[in-house]
Amino acid sequence: MRKKLISTLLVGTMTLSLAACGGSSSSNSGNGGGSSSGGGSSAPSGNENTLTVYAWDPAFNIPALKAAEEAYKAGVNPDFVLDIREQSGSSDIETAITTAASAGKYDTLPDIVLFQDHWIQQYVKDYPDAWQNVNDADVKWDDFSAEKLDYSTIDGVHYGVPVDGGTVVTAYRVDLLEEAGYTIDDLTGISWAEFIEIGKAVKEKTGKYLMCMDGDGNDLVYLMLQAEGVSQFKDGKPYITENETLKQVIQTIVDMSKAGVLLLTNSWSDYTDKAIQGDQVAGVMNGNWIIPTIEKVEANNGKWEITSMPTLEGGKEGYASNGGSSLYITANCKNTDLAKDFLAYTFGGGEGAIETYDNALKNGGLVSTYAPAGESEVYNEGVAFFNDTPIYADIVEMGTHVQIVEQSPYHYTCRTQLAAAIVNVINGSDLETELKNAEDQLNFEMGN
Amino acid sequence: MNKKKEMDLLQKQSRAGWLFLAPATLMIAVMSFWPMISAFFTSLKTGSSANMQWADPIFYNYTRMFSDKLFQRSIVNTFLYLAIQVPIMLVLAILLAQLLNNKDLKLKGFFRTCVFLPCATALVSYSLIFKSLFATEGLINSILVNLHILSENYNFLGNPASAKAVIIIALIWRWTGYNMVFYLAGLQNIEYSVYEAAKIDGANGWQTFWGITVPLLRPTIIMTFIMSINGTLQLFDESVNLTNGGPANSTITMSHYIYNNTFGTGVANFGYATAMAFFVFIMVGILAFINMKVGDTRD
Repeated sequence: MRKKLISTLLVGTMTLSLAACGGSSSSNSGNGGGSSSGGGSSAPSGNENTLTVYAWDPAFNIPALKAAEEAYKAGVNPDFVLDIREQSGSSDIETAITTAASAGKYDTLPDIVLFQDHWIQQYVKDYPDAWQNVNDADVKWDDFSAEKLDYSTIDGVHYGVPVDGGTVVTAYRVDLLEEAGYTIDDLTGISWAEFIEIGKAVKEKTGKYLMCMDGDGNDLVYLMLQAEGVSQFKDGKPYITENETLKQVIQTIVDMSKAGVLLLTNSWSDYTDKAIQGDQVAGVMNGNWIIPTIEKVEANNGKWEITSMPTLEGGKEGYASNGGSSLYITANCKNTDLAKDFLAYTFGGGEGAIETYDNALKNGGLVSTYAPAGESEVYNEGVAFFNDTPIYADIVEMGTHVQIVEQSPYHYTCRTQLAAAIVNVINGSDLETELKNAEDQLNFEMGN
Repeated sequence: MNKKKEMDLLQKQSRAGWLFLAPATLMIAVMSFWPMISAFFTSLKTGSSANMQWADPIFYNYTRMFSDKLFQRSIVNTFLYLAIQVPIMLVLAILLAQLLNNKDLKLKGFFRTCVFLPCATALVSYSLIFKSLFATEGLINSILVNLHILSENYNFLGNPASAKAVIIIALIWRWTGYNMVFYLAGLQNIEYSVYEAAKIDGANGWQTFWGITVPLLRPTIIMTFIMSINGTLQLFDESVNLTNGGPANSTITMSHYIYNNTFGTGVANFGYATAMAFFVFIMVGILAFINMKVGDTRD
């Protein structure tokens, strides 16, 4: 027994020291410009005309990348290959970065990743060595909406090239509005109080909710605040209990829910599959990437139209942006010049930009924030599903009005806390107490 | 003629024994013990996972969790599931085992399979099935509304209390049969003559159950208890897939919260997460220890 114990201990210490040696030597490799060692299971191919990229939506952003590949092939390099590796969701890419950076082994990453805008600040802060900046790429920064660039620019350094914008659309079923005696113009430039009144009438006449959102990942707070030009953060600190606008917004959401105007679902899949595709709603408000989801209900073809958001005061139109993603060059990219040239030529506003964005829109419904793209023919065509209105040109136009608000790496942490507060207030808890709890927990998680 | 000095038999056997043990010992040490030690060191560090620093003070992650209200809530939730679900489940399991152990029962195999079948379903898929059953537009709602028990569809998973209840119901459904199998096995070891003797002495069914079955099943009961406590404290799949911790984190479990701190919400707070994992480990250890002490009848 004793012998066994001793031998186990010996083995233990041996492996311990071994692993400790291995750990300390590997953790510091791979900083900055892709210095990681060769060999192993590297994702990028050695070919000088090939770039690998991770993306996740075969109906949305992958067609856009294919469009870019075609444009670059046709205009610059016929041998160019963009090796698109489909991931099951955006979180897969976040996990890939986390694990690669935690292990200090970047050679598992592709050359380029498509990354969600709301996450990038956190990931650049946590893993600065995982990215390469694109400051010197020939991207026409001035032609993109400033709000969009605000996400991917960290301390004045450009890290990403914008792909899709998250400009918010407020889509309504005009046929149902008509049933209740309203037109889409009656819902443009109104206040949230008026919205609730109209919503009640629509609910009474048609049985449908005029607004819906995932109650678990509630984006409404962020959207409604941005339309007012206010953030949930101030100088890097949570701005919740002192924030009168935020209180009004949350009270409005609670009122909407209680009045039966707003359907808060339990999960994201309930939101897309049951609320929107299950035809329970007469209105949807979210980033324009929600449009393909709305279009899945073919029975409602031609019955939808879009407009801007209501605001707290009313009398003006509200604009916001939610989600969207950009392309980022990882530390593992060795052919950085090609990557920068490709991104600048296509998504970055180079000669292939119009072709890229036109095809991205046609094949994937992906809407750019690149202003000149909005002037192209494809963007200005009427969309049959939306009553033949040119919604894409409208979206690009709306995107130019979105106000810049303070971004934070803790965007999603804050969203989770406020979503919890809203559910609790709807279930009868006190607003002030819940906001105090949310702020405390957020401060705790931020380490303040 | 240099004749090698041979080892005696005992030495030979001992050497062979060590040889056989070595690969497994090494594997366990490398695959299991080393990660544990490594995890402990991680739990003493803070910062982003690419650049972790020793915490200052060194037990910062451990003291931090005591001011984390969400972690405390996850502990409360987990113990609530434990306190309600485990007793109900074990009592049901023992009663079912007793019923299905009846010699005169027909189609015994069929019933046993039926009760055990839930255990054959994957955790994720049964969670998703319960999720759709209890959805606002789900089957349970349709039934209750059609029977006029509810006047309108109720959002079971959108209300903290009912969401917890759904998780408990799901757990009972999934694990009762599993525990029943242990009791059935235990019951096989009780001589039928003991029951006959009790019958002759005039004991009724209730008395036999408490006087014979329960005491003789005691070792099995303790084992199932420890396993259930252990399993419930590590509850993860149901919380993630059935409710996603919601509404408003009211159903989140400890393991789920730990996961959220690593990959779940993209924050990659590995130091803090491993510290919490060690805390759970210590709790499981203490509970198992108490259970064994209480259950130990030897003097």
